[in-house]
Amino acid sequence: MKQIFLVLKREYLTRVKKKSFLLATILTPLVLPAIIFGIAYFASRDKDSRHEEILVLDESGYFSEVFDASGYDFKYISGNLEEKKASFAEEGAFGVLYIPAVDLSDISVRRFEGFQFYSETNASIRTMERIENQIESRLKDLKLQRSGLDHSVIENLQVNASLSTFNITESGEAKESNSGLSFAVGYGTGFLIYMFIFVYGGQIMQSVLDEKTNRIVEVIVSSVRPFQLMMGKVLGVGAVGFTQILIWIVLMATLSTVGISLLSGGNEAVMEAASQQMPQEAMSQQQEMAANIQAMISSVPVAKILVCFLFFFLGAYFLYGALYAAVGSAVDSLQDAQQFMFPIIIPIIAAIMAMFFVLDDPHGGLAVTLSMIPFTSPIIMMARIPFGVPDWQLALSMVLLIAGFVGTIYVAGRIYRIGILMYGVKVNWKIMKKWFTMKV
Amino acid sequence: MNILEANNVTKRYAEHTALSDVSISIPKQSIFGLLGPNGAGKTTLIRIVNQIIMADEGEVFINGEKLEPKHIGVIGYLPEERGLYKKMKVGEQLMYLAQLKGLSNAEARTRIKYWLEKLGLTEWAGKKVEDLSKGMAQKIQFIATVLHQPSLLILDEPFSGFDPVNANLIKDEIFELREKGATVIFSTHRMESVEQLCDHIALINKSKKILDGKKNDVRNSYKLHQYEVIFKGSLEDSTSIKVLNNSVSELGLNKSVIEAKNNESPNMILQELINKVEVHSFIEIIPSINDIFISIVKGGQS
Repeated sequence: MKQIFLVLKREYLTRVKKKSFLLATILTPLVLPAIIFGIAYFASRDKDSRHEEILVLDESGYFSEVFDASGYDFKYISGNLEEKKASFAEEGAFGVLYIPAVDLSDISVRRFEGFQFYSETNASIRTMERIENQIESRLKDLKLQRSGLDHSVIENLQVNASLSTFNITESGEAKESNSGLSFAVGYGTGFLIYMFIFVYGGQIMQSVLDEKTNRIVEVIVSSVRPFQLMMGKVLGVGAVGFTQILIWIVLMATLSTVGISLLSGGNEAVMEAASQQMPQEAMSQQQEMAANIQAMISSVPVAKILVCFLFFFLGAYFLYGALYAAVGSAVDSLQDAQQFMFPIIIPIIAAIMAMFFVLDDPHGGLAVTLSMIPFTSPIIMMARIPFGVPDWQLALSMVLLIAGFVGTIYVAGRIYRIGILMYGVKVNWKIMKKWFTMKV
Repeated sequence: MNILEANNVTKRYAEHTALSDVSISIPKQSIFGLLGPNGAGKTTLIRIVNQIIMADEGEVFINGEKLEPKHIGVIGYLPEERGLYKKMKVGEQLMYLAQLKGLSNAEARTRIKYWLEKLGLTEWAGKKVEDLSKGMAQKIQFIATVLHQPSLLILDEPFSGFDPVNANLIKDEIFELREKGATVIFSTHRMESVEQLCDHIALINKSKKILDGKKNDVRNSYKLHQYEVIFKGSLEDSTSIKVLNNSVSELGLNKSVIEAKNNESPNMILQELINKVEVHSFIEIIPSINDIFISIVKGGQS
């Protein structure tokens, strides 16, 4: 145990003391959201600032004041379609929307054709759908009027319903749920695990490979058992990842708390400064928003997610970390490692791809199955947990994951103890299998 | 008292046998040469002693006790494939390796200081290994091997890659450690490089031990009763002497290698020579370990 700890300590300290670790740890939680918000901001600003003209040639006369789409101005014109088709670009317009004469005399006609849109470059699908909807909705209104309904009845037909979703907790209490946030949390935590397997698995492999190429490994194993060396390494690198995650959690918790308290005006100075600039109404709107965010956050089981995340994060790390260590021990260079990386990467990629389907249907057969298989369970289970997972499934998945990483550590240890002392061997799967069964 | 005893050690791999029924005993405070060509099984034997791998059959004893994990601290091992963590500082690296051997922090610190001073590397303690010259790195490796004051030093191909100055420096340190009570095992395929250093040897070839004992006993038992004679006059075969080759010495005298046909004693041969020629020099040719090895291996083949 003391030996494992010494190895762990070295692996941990050499990494944590590096400047790159400090930078990555502090900057990632700041830079990543900044990049996302930055992209979103520029995208929306881009859209807002763009104002292009769409010429509307309405031969029916029913469609004045019907259209609006962000980024576009609609200008109603008259004239010949063929002429306008030829000249709209020169006039600086984005496109021409042609609406033919519409015959509404027969109420049973349901299909209307002949609406056309001409432009030099394709407009976005969303804009086209919006225009189509507006045409349809206008036609519907017209038909309702024709069928003799009172105008106020038609107005009253415009209804808006919102569906609130609740989860019944074990105590029978109904708790408001939020599938949007569940989606975000599931996606975020699953993706984080995916990323960490690659980053820290790669570090373990590199570290094993370095000891081999530096030719120090035989010096070390003359005082430490190879298994202790491997475990010390896996635990040490894992501790680095754990430290990083903890710092991120603390940073993000602090940042979001500060953010919410700023929004709700918890900070008096900010409130004062803000109240001078903002009308009282906007202020209370902001407070409402902050309350909404707080309610949203309390709708997901934060503590449960955190505990499960740390568990599945470590489980995934041990499971794959051991395999990375085995690959590192078997080869002489990073290039040779590629062929063995492939089968390790496949289940991780499969998991991240399946995650999108799982987020769509978190309690389906695929989701349940993949959240039990240790190779995919960490990513898939994290995607499911925010939507609520039965306790027995969670427990079974955890037990299976523990069994899974104990298994991979055992297999990896047997390959590692032979591999680290082998130089210049052209390794293939057959040789690895032989190492596994070999006596030391 | 033997510090190390290996009895009938055998190690098999899937396709070949690396060691077959090898027994050696290494007396305390000796300098023991474990000799043999590449691939003979020397490193396998050393790894077994270091508990990196385990023997399939046979037993190893250290100071009369069956080999067990605690003996790691008794042995200082410098492997043939040796290196250091390039990105780690010299001092930290030595501290890490010393702690792995079970030294306390304080004890390790004093000894690291002592050894760095002794080999003139004190000002390099805070430097990274990648900044050191190759010779300095080799000295650091040597320090790492001896920091925990092992009573058994096992050096696998110790002088490969060393420049002559460093090699001599390390040799002196090894002798000093021997004086203080350590036992040294040299393992090498370059027999001539350690022949004069060793007092005991074992020859290993193709996984088998073919010979061992005190170096001088071995050499004496393999002498061919040949002599190199420098003389004036002419020498021909007789009932007791066979002339093997003739040449001219630097001073213009005749030089011949002769063999005593019936193992006559040197005195008897010399007496006969004195009667026939004027003898300027008469030296018995004692075969080198390398010669003995070659003659045994060739004899075994034919």
